[in-house]
Amino acid sequence: MSVPVKTQNLPPIKKLRNIPKEEQYVPGHRTCAGCGPALQYKLVAKAAGPNTILLGPTGCMYVANASYLCTPYQVPWIHTQITNGGAVASGIEAAYQVRIRKGTWKGELPNIIVMAGDGGAVDIGLQAMSALMYRGHDVLFVCYDNESYANTGIQTSPTTPYGGNTTFTPPGKAVPEGKKLFPKDVPQLVIGGHPAVKYVATASVAYPLDLMNKVRKALNQKGPTFLHIHAPCPKGWKFDESKTVEIARLAVQTGMWSIYEWVNGEFKYQYRPKEFKPVREYLKTQKRFAHLQEEHIAKMQAFVDARVKTPGVPVNVPLPGPREA
Amino acid sequence: MAKEMTLSGCAAAAQAVKMAKVDVICSYPIRPYTAAMMELAKLVNNGELDAEFIHGEGEHAQLAVVYGASAAGARVFTGSAGVGVTYAFENYSPISGGRLPVQMMIADRALDPPGDFGSEHTDVMSARDQGWIMGWAETPQEVFDNHLINYRIGEDKRVMLPQFVCQDGYFVSHIPGKVKLPDQAQVDEFLPPYDPGDHVLDPKKPFSHGPQIRPDQGTIMDLQRAQAFLDLPPVIEEVIDSYNRIMGRKYSPWVEEFMTEDAEIAFFIMGAHTATARHAVRHLRQKGVKAGLVKLRFVRPWPSQQVAEALSKFKAVGVIETSTSYGGSMRGGNLLAEVRASLYDLPKRPLTTAFMAGLGGDVIPLQEFYWMARKLEDAARAGRVEKPVYWAGLEH
Amino acid sequence: MFDIPKERAVPFGCVTKAPVGEQPMMITGNWREYRPVIDHEKCNLCMNCIVFCPDACWQLDDAEEEVVWNAKYCKGCLVCVNECTTEALTKAYELDFPDGVVRLEKPF
Repeated sequence: MSVPVKTQNLPPIKKLRNIPKEEQYVPGHRTCAGCGPALQYKLVAKAAGPNTILLGPTGCMYVANASYLCTPYQVPWIHTQITNGGAVASGIEAAYQVRIRKGTWKGELPNIIVMAGDGGAVDIGLQAMSALMYRGHDVLFVCYDNESYANTGIQTSPTTPYGGNTTFTPPGKAVPEGKKLFPKDVPQLVIGGHPAVKYVATASVAYPLDLMNKVRKALNQKGPTFLHIHAPCPKGWKFDESKTVEIARLAVQTGMWSIYEWVNGEFKYQYRPKEFKPVREYLKTQKRFAHLQEEHIAKMQAFVDARVKTPGVPVNVPLPGPREA
Repeated sequence: MAKEMTLSGCAAAAQAVKMAKVDVICSYPIRPYTAAMMELAKLVNNGELDAEFIHGEGEHAQLAVVYGASAAGARVFTGSAGVGVTYAFENYSPISGGRLPVQMMIADRALDPPGDFGSEHTDVMSARDQGWIMGWAETPQEVFDNHLINYRIGEDKRVMLPQFVCQDGYFVSHIPGKVKLPDQAQVDEFLPPYDPGDHVLDPKKPFSHGPQIRPDQGTIMDLQRAQAFLDLPPVIEEVIDSYNRIMGRKYSPWVEEFMTEDAEIAFFIMGAHTATARHAVRHLRQKGVKAGLVKLRFVRPWPSQQVAEALSKFKAVGVIETSTSYGGSMRGGNLLAEVRASLYDLPKRPLTTAFMAGLGGDVIPLQEFYWMARKLEDAARAGRVEKPVYWAGLEH
Repeated sequence: MFDIPKERAVPFGCVTKAPVGEQPMMITGNWREYRPVIDHEKCNLCMNCIVFCPDACWQLDDAEEEVVWNAKYCKGCLVCVNECTTEALTKAYELDFPDGVVRLEKPF
């Protein structure tokens, strides 16, 4: 027997003046000044509203927020291991489904949102995320991408860009570009093999209305949904903390980040510039790329050129083994 | 109507879970516990049990799914065996620390190596310090009863702790035995629906579950769980008393004695091999050996007082070790250290030694029990034990 | 029985009450080196400071006529100054203000 468990229809927000005033992610947290992930957290929680349960796999948005038994989450929040945000969310959703059916929970299914970093989404957390998508739970999985394991001291993750200087990919004589590998295509990992998924989108903290409306679209959609959100990290990427939004915007303008939506098999670009700026302009804003030489920048430009042409289609990259010189 | 069925340990567990009207089940296949999940899958798909049956992507996920579901107020069930139990390890402490009354069935399986299917208690004994209630069953009947008893203990507001409900793989999980099933009305009387109270994720009463603490709060947080275990024994006694009354059973909560009257030597044992040990004791008695047996029902909480009381009357006690602790103080297993610690404060202590036996899925044949009995008799006569541990059947 | 000092007490089962509106146990205003200063004459309420502040330290006042700064929590990242469309926001050295943050009252 199926009963309607979710009838909400969060309306789109037309302009900035109409964004909800109430914060669900309130001031009073230990994230760094100018933190991109904190900014996206604020926007996601605001768009979702009070009838929401947030899940925090271990990462910056757990450690820096949920500190010393005080947290900034005005709605229910639960910690999960970095490995298993998707699995814990599945359990919460299933519990509400069965409790609504049995009458032990009065009210609608809450919005259930996993707020995972790139490690918790597509590295150590990939298995649980994929299983959530496969099983079709009514959950929004957000990957806030700061392109590294920032909380542990900026180690490389599968989304760290080629050439990124992290504490596990320090450039040196033998490996001048630092990181040799190209990043995982995160949305493609979700889209590429999960038939239950109908909505996947990318967003950026530089485009807050777009971001918030995608959160609402995802929450209105029945079944599992996924958002990949670009969230610059001043400490890890080594730029001045006042530039967080500027750098996020520049990423879109240079094609280093693409903002698109995938709905039922259809791709749609948003904020595609008429002409992309050269990636060099993006790279020079961050000290994590300061060591790159001309050939590395050219390699990066070629990668970006190929990717912006065909959103969501995997791009051929040179494939060095991790230990190959 | 109450009825009697012939059920394996796995099938008995599934029947108990059905009668407990569990809300969320999370499965992942690994022998030998899998048979319980196969049975539950049938019960759910036939419409006999209204529960969400989630196919976990591994044991780690199984525990994560039921952690979330329990935090959202559901009665939950999962289970595993062997390397599955160790793969899920990360989740055990967050579940007990979060005071979520998750229930996990264990059908023990040896870890790799040797990579076989048989029972050995090392899998979940490795997790004995994670803040979970833990105890073994000897028969499918005891399996059935323990599952219901543990739900009620774990969900008690004074307790709120997860439970490992353990049975030996194959010896119990796959060998059918007679199981008396109560009426659903009896079960409903014994086990009310799970009421999480305020300890539940609810947008109307929001809280944060599991944030970090200050280091100076760490000891206090651990004390909370320690205190829960200190407060646990009277609740267990009360619940088992209630179970005995409603279901017409005769469980003693902590240890069960067999032919211990006037016994001079005794085996101290838990789980499946108890059945063989009973036969051995009976035969030894026929031959005039004053042997007895004490069976342990809970490893956590460890019933120090009851163990001391039960064992103090013997001259020599042989602890059957069905798990390993390489390099530990007892040079073999885990139970002897706990037994000796329980006896330490007694003015007059029995002699104790351990027998490593039935590891890696091996059986413990009657001959081995007779051999152990001889070692115990020798010790009793000499007034001392030769050494703390013997590898049964491999030493003279 | 155990004697647990009140300031070290922990709630049952790792659960702590959700904050309402702000989390006063984690005041971050004392992190600032610079603070944003607003010239309301120049402000056209474009909302950028409100929407882009990671710490939700800019809000509209009740009449929705002016933006209001939250000195208690502003960490001084100056994203707002960087994103201001009308140059209404400028940065100023924290210690130049009579109420400027000079030291941490307590570690957290």
